[in-house]
Amino acid sequence: MTNPIFWAGVLSLALIYGSIALVLNLESGWGGMWDLGTAGLLGAGGYSYVLLTLDNPDLGTRFLPGWPMWLAWIGASLFTGLVALAIAIPSLRLRREYFLITTLALAEIIRQLIVIQKDITRGHTGIANLDRPLDSLVDARTYNYIFLGITAFAAVIVYLITRRLGHSAYGRTLRGARDNEALALSLGKPVNQMRIKTFVLSGMLIGAIAPLYVFYLRAISPGVYASGITFHVWTALVLGGIGSAFGGLFGGLLLIVFTEGIGLVHIGAFPDAVKENFSIGLLLVLVLRFRPDGVFSERRTFRARTRTISESDTRTSDQLSTAGQK
Amino acid sequence: MSETPPLDLILQNVTKTYGGVTAVDDVSASISTSAITALIGPNGAGKTTLFNAITGFDPADSGSITFGGDSLAGLKPWQVAHLGLIRTFQTPVGFTTLTVRESMLSAALHHSLETPRKALIFSRQIKEVEQQATEQAIEIATELGLIDLFDFRTDELSSGDRKLLEFARQLMANPKMLLLDEPAASVAPNNIGRLAQLILRLRDERGLGSLIIDHNLSFLMQIADTVHVLDRGAVIASGTPEEISTNQDVMRIYLGEKADEV
Amino acid sequence: MQNVIFGIVTGCTLAIATTGFAMVRQSENFLNIAHAQMMALGAFIGVSLVESHGWNIFIAGLMAVVSVGIIGTVLAGVFFRPVKHQGGTVLLFTSIGLAMMIYAVNIAFFGNKARSFLSVGFGERRNFAGLNILDYELIIVGLTVLTIIFLQLFLTGTTLGRSVRAVASNDDLARIRGVPVGRVSNTVWFISSALAALSGVMIGYQSSVSPELGWRQILFVLAAAVLGGLRSISGVIVASLLLGIVMDVSVLYIPSAYRPVVAFGVLVLVLILKPEGILSVQRRKESVAT
Repeated sequence: MTNPIFWAGVLSLALIYGSIALVLNLESGWGGMWDLGTAGLLGAGGYSYVLLTLDNPDLGTRFLPGWPMWLAWIGASLFTGLVALAIAIPSLRLRREYFLITTLALAEIIRQLIVIQKDITRGHTGIANLDRPLDSLVDARTYNYIFLGITAFAAVIVYLITRRLGHSAYGRTLRGARDNEALALSLGKPVNQMRIKTFVLSGMLIGAIAPLYVFYLRAISPGVYASGITFHVWTALVLGGIGSAFGGLFGGLLLIVFTEGIGLVHIGAFPDAVKENFSIGLLLVLVLRFRPDGVFSERRTFRARTRTISESDTRTSDQLSTAGQK
Repeated sequence: MSETPPLDLILQNVTKTYGGVTAVDDVSASISTSAITALIGPNGAGKTTLFNAITGFDPADSGSITFGGDSLAGLKPWQVAHLGLIRTFQTPVGFTTLTVRESMLSAALHHSLETPRKALIFSRQIKEVEQQATEQAIEIATELGLIDLFDFRTDELSSGDRKLLEFARQLMANPKMLLLDEPAASVAPNNIGRLAQLILRLRDERGLGSLIIDHNLSFLMQIADTVHVLDRGAVIASGTPEEISTNQDVMRIYLGEKADEV
Repeated sequence: MQNVIFGIVTGCTLAIATTGFAMVRQSENFLNIAHAQMMALGAFIGVSLVESHGWNIFIAGLMAVVSVGIIGTVLAGVFFRPVKHQGGTVLLFTSIGLAMMIYAVNIAFFGNKARSFLSVGFGERRNFAGLNILDYELIIVGLTVLTIIFLQLFLTGTTLGRSVRAVASNDDLARIRGVPVGRVSNTVWFISSALAALSGVMIGYQSSVSPELGWRQILFVLAAAVLGGLRSISGVIVASLLLGIVMDVSVLYIPSAYRPVVAFGVLVLVLILKPEGILSVQRRKESVAT
């Protein structure tokens, strides 16, 4: 199964995951806000996009706004930003552990609400056969290449945006506040406001990426947005290197290509879910154990000169271990 | 010199208790923002607690604190900083992963320049401000002997250098008054001299005064204009360094009962 | 009132799981996301032994509890001990990885479909003061009470138990005092995993067993653990009972589909309103300010 159409699809998914990981890096890596609620924001973005484009009365949903694709896309991004704001305002003052748990719980609440509001979302049945951008131009098989182009374009934009933010004055102080909140406060930085802005911006970016994932699946249902996707994106980020500008994207590529590769290998008659979860879980465990800094380091991104000769000998990841000791 | 009267940091009946312990006991003082004031006293005398109360990190239970006429009551730490009251921390943890350059730039920039929007529109204003700030940072770093470490991360500096960075960085935040918490502790002896010189120059050339806590009495007595002595939360003596160093009560708390025998 | 009974039963199963979770949180200092996967594993072992091999439910349950206890201890040694020095966040993410692996193994061994304890009875209804109580509900509550009593006796009455408490309150001090930290660690892992399995079997009995149990239950466990205060066992038990009662009583007023949302909603609300949340920010500031 080395046909290029298949791999074009795989690469597209990898770029989508990578883009999400880049955003996760912005809020969690540089911002220091450990967020386990990615699935919830993706769900908010995906569903708001789909629901805004609905125009088929046969679906049986209550609302049929029938917005054009581009408008719904913007709407999804803004809506997800709003959801992120609603999450951020009460939660950001919580200690790291509690914030983690809160975001996980809120993501599940969002998913449950999607299931419960059946008359708006069609609940577990989901919605299928969704239109994709430019898909009327070519046949279904060739479309994979176009989609690859679209996701690549998106990934580049997300990369440029997040990288720019990381290297900016804002990114600098954001990282400083992550390292030492009290110090940032003592310098007149309104840390809480900065964090809320970061979280909302992240929400808007995720909301903008979410429709891509919907296009990839050509369908949407609540099951897609279970916590699994949050953990997969986190694994991609840890693998690629938290705190680096490129790590998230690289990790996404590595992760998806790896899992699809595993899927092709026939190890007994195990279903895909088994192979996928086992290998991603194992990958995460191994990276944390042997190379917690990931492939790319924050140090290299911000090009600090180092004194220690064998810094790569240290097995303790800067980011994760200082976080754990709080 | 301008005609505006010097801003004063005025403490009136400031009290702070933790559980049953009175950490700061009815402290009143008028501290000039263009002079160098030392705050000395044994460990646990309440000096850092007073700093925390002034800067909003741990507000006082009662009493009033004003700076240049503005009340500091209810202000959050970042708001106090905006009034020009900049403090250092006893343990110079710093911005662990930021380099000396980055730390100092972060301190120098006003937070209105540090927004995602400004970052994405490639503001020229930020470029200019950063350029100026970098020049200033290089100047200060050179003066304190940190220039060779300019692009090294904070967590790679020795504790003495981190202490100097603590001072250098906070200085970049455009202070009207500095609150220095043990700025000389763990600093190498030859650098203490440079630190002292810089603090004096700031007073003389910029009218920038400091309120300094430290245990290094020789360092403090050289540069201080006024000294306040705290013991168990209360001010027990105030005066010039000469007056304080001959004050019997002060000697007693530092040297124990043996001072009476002298 | 009937719903309060349901709530107590729900709360009991949750209490058992969360007690195990909290023990690991206290002694090993991290949130073990894989805990609920061990619940699923225990449930699967139980249901397999009973339905596919005809074992008696109690013996199967005991087998599940003991075997998962051992498995958990071994897994902890292999996966968590080597990264212990890296801190709680690395351990948390390692537990996420481990959770995914156990989830996969569960599906591989036991299949992806839901399974139920069909051949086991205890459905007989009894009537107390106008309330219907089913036999199994009595058994679950009874088992819970017994477990808590035994746990208490262990923690206060045995040397090993006291060592566990010592490590939980201050592990550096305990190590200096010569407490066998390694043995304590193994003990805690065994108990925690065993409790997870017990809870899993109970839950599996009441509804059904599926691999998703692991991802679903972890949120309830987290909710109960946080509400109970990550520090005290008794707090956790009370919080679990309260959560169970709130969840099962709420269905009288709002559609039952909202039941899980209620639990998480309560968690989020309490976290946001709870003083601990505000205090911790204050403590963060102070810890750097002094």
